[in-house]
Order: sequence, then structure tokens, then C-alpha cells
Amino acid sequence: MHLQLPGFGEWVAAFLTLCIFSFLYRDNVLYRIAESIFAGISFGYYVGLAKLNTLDPNLFRPLLGDFGAHWSLLIPFALGLLLYVRYIPKLAWISNWSLAVYIGYYIGVNLLQKLHGDILPQARGTMIPLTGGWGAVLGGIIVFVGVVTVLIYFFFSSPHRGPLKPAARLGIYFLMISFGASFGYTVMGRVSLLIGRLTFLVHDWARPLLLSLMGG
Amino acid sequence: MHWAKQLLLVDRRIIFLLVFLGALIPIIRPIGLGVQISPPVEAVFDAVERLRPGDAILLSFDYGPSDGPELDPMANAILRHCHKKGVKVVGISLFPLGGVDMGIARLNELATELQAQDGTDWVNLGYKDGGQAAMKAMGEDIAAVFPTDVNGVAYRDLPLTRDIRAYRDMKLAISLATSVLGEWWINLVNAQFGIPVAVGTTAVSAPRYYAYMEAQQAIGVIGGMKGASEYEELVERAYPELKGLSRTATMGMDVQSIVHVIIIFFILFGNLMFLLTRRVKEA
Repeated sequence: MHLQLPGFGEWVAAFLTLCIFSFLYRDNVLYRIAESIFAGISFGYYVGLAKLNTLDPNLFRPLLGDFGAHWSLLIPFALGLLLYVRYIPKLAWISNWSLAVYIGYYIGVNLLQKLHGDILPQARGTMIPLTGGWGAVLGGIIVFVGVVTVLIYFFFSSPHRGPLKPAARLGIYFLMISFGASFGYTVMGRVSLLIGRLTFLVHDWARPLLLSLMGG
Repeated sequence: MHWAKQLLLVDRRIIFLLVFLGALIPIIRPIGLGVQISPPVEAVFDAVERLRPGDAILLSFDYGPSDGPELDPMANAILRHCHKKGVKVVGISLFPLGGVDMGIARLNELATELQAQDGTDWVNLGYKDGGQAAMKAMGEDIAAVFPTDVNGVAYRDLPLTRDIRAYRDMKLAISLATSVLGEWWINLVNAQFGIPVAVGTTAVSAPRYYAYMEAQQAIGVIGGMKGASEYEELVERAYPELKGLSRTATMGMDVQSIVHVIIIFFILFGNLMFLLTRRVKEA
């Protein structure tokens, strides 16, 4: 069997993983170093990614290749550059033009998206016909009661008195069950991250290292 | 001090150590606990299973390395499934911090495992900024958003994408998503362009997607490592020739089960000790 020591990348990744894990014991300088390296690399990665995957193929190459056909790309390019004049106090107001276009576009997209893609279909999903087996009927009733009582709980324009009080209280129970389910899933997600790192440490770093040492 | 109160003050690092050991031991020696299939995952599997050879799907790698333990196994299982069905995969990424590299890694793994060919069985169009803007523009002309693939080959020159102009030319979109991106695939792309959407997501994000599935806005949901292990199981049941390939999510579920038992024990233990100390106080 060919035994190979872990490569340089595996050593660096293992070291940084252990640095981050060291925080579980207490805050320390190794943890801080690893955290700073992560933040710096993430930013550098993002800048490089934006240039290579967006600016080069969607802006620079079309402009350099056939300027006549793509000159209009200069308009969004200029709007993007104008965002950075915020750093020149006397000209900072110009960046508002870019922000106006940006905000206007995303408000338009989001308005339609929320109404057409969230509110209407979700409201329709709440008002399902009470047909099918008793399980489906019961499920439909629970969903409907849950939505109405939670909405009552979040209705703060009038005090929760009279018939609104028990409805709002029932809404809280629905919310608690929902938070519990979310918390359970969150635990599962965090354990998955631990599994990922431990699997790397065991199978990609420690095992080849030990096998190589024992084999040698 | 009452003994129950002393136990409540146990150093949290002891709990960390127990969780660490509970996770480490099954990784070194897997137990092989069974996997139960749930309807949301089966719905995604069935949607892919109903496709015909030559159909194309969009697979968006909307996650980074920190979500890899949950979403990498999903990507592997879906890619294996598509390849065995002869379904073509158009890979993209809209998540900035690592999405494009997750796509490259997974698609290259498929190429190594099953000899799938870049450009004919799958293409990787890479990452694009803009989120919703990119999604909307792809509804009209994908080539305008992704003029080239990650290797710099023009979109129109790729054999797989030559006849794919927009969403309408694909049968299904699957987003492997962290953050809000998966929701946008549903409430923007599905709602406005009509392409069926399935989402594979981290466990943290999973609960919100079930509401979309109940409202029939998403055809199915693969939630976290559990969902990934179910998809691995379904693919292996349908295609026994894939047995022997890695099943990292299924292996991970051993750890999940043991760590959950430890956590449940400590939740019950903590509450019990708290009740006991309160009773002592009241007495």
C-alpha cells in the first residue's frame, strides 16, 4: 500500500480548524489569528470572484471585443463607479444617483416577488378545501387555525382582551412549536458542521499521517 | 450547596468533550443506522426520476464551504441520479462565498466517478453577482447572464446549452441553497417563469421551505444532512450499481443520532436539576 503524508493544504486546514476549536476551551490568540485569516481571505476571494466571474465576462470582454455593440454597458459601469465617490466628501451626493437606481430596481422586483410569489400563494395554501382523509382535513384545519391565531397575536392595534386573548394565546403556542422545530433543525445543522470538520481531521489528516508514521 | 445545584454548575467544557467524543467515535467506526425516507425528499427524487434521457435541469450551487457537510452529499447524489437517468445538468452559482468552487468540485467528482463529460453531460457556467437580477434575466436569455462557462467557452458553443435559451427549455430547477437564495428560486423564478423548483437546503433553513412545499410552490425539499442521507438511500435503491460510492450523509447520520441523544439527555438532566433546586428553595 502506498502511504502518503497529508499535503501542505491539509496541514494548514487542520491547523486552522484546531485553532478555531481551541475557542471551546477559552478565547486565545490562535483563535483570533484564524478568525482574522478567514475574514481577510473571504474578502479577497470575493473581490477576485467578482472580477473573474462577473466583471470580465459581462463587462470588460464585451467592451473590448465589440465596443459598438456593447457601449451601453458603460452606463451601469459608470453607476457602479459613482458609488465609490462617497469617499470624497464634496462629491458624496453624486453616489445617491447610483443608489436611487439600485434601490428603485430592487423595490420593483421585491414588490412583485413578495406579492406574487409569497403572499398570494401562501394565503391560497392556507385556504385548502377540507377534502380527502381525516388526516388531511385535520391538517388543513390546524394550518388555518395556526395562521389566524398567529396573525391575531401579531395584531397590536388593539389590546388582546375578550375573545382575542385566548386566540392570541393559542397563537403563542403555535409559535413555540415552530421555534422548537427550528431549534431542533438548528442543532442538526450545527452538528453537521462539526461532522464535516471532524471527518476532515480524521480521514484527510490524522489517518494518513498515522498510517504513514506506522508504515514508516 | 445542594448537590443538584452543584450539578447545574458543571463546566460546559465537559459537555463539549462528551459531544466531541460522541461525534468522533462513529466517524472512526461507523455504526450503519438505517435511513427512513420522508415524502418531501421522495418528491424531489420522483421528479428527477420522471425526466427522460436528454432532458436538462438547472442545478444552482448556492452555498459555500461552511455548508458543504450538508449540501455536498445532496449534490453528489443528485448528480449521480441525473447521470444514470441521462439527464443533462446546467450548473450555476449565485452564492458569492465559494459557490462556484463547490460546483466545480462536485461536477469534477462526477466526472471522475462516472466518466461524465463536461460540455455534453454537464456544464458549469460559474458564478454571477446580482441574485434576483440574474435570476430574472435568465428567464429571458441565459447567455446574457452567463456568456461563457467557467473555462471561458462561449455559452452558444457548448453542445449542451446550444438549444437552451431560458428556463422554459429546462424541465426542473434545483437550488442547493443556504441563506435566502432558495426562497428566491421559489417565489421569483417559479412564480414568474413557471419552472418547477426543488430546494436542497441546510437544516437551519429547512423549516421555512416546508410552507412553500405545502402551498405547492416547491415540488420537494431536501432538508439538511438527514435529507441528503435519504436521497443517497433512494439513489442507491434505484441504481444498485452505484453501491460502493461514498455516502457521507448516511455515515454522518450515525453521529447525528448519538449527539442528539447526548443533547436530549443534557436538556432533560438540566431541567430535572433545575426543578429539584427550585423545590429545595421553596421548602
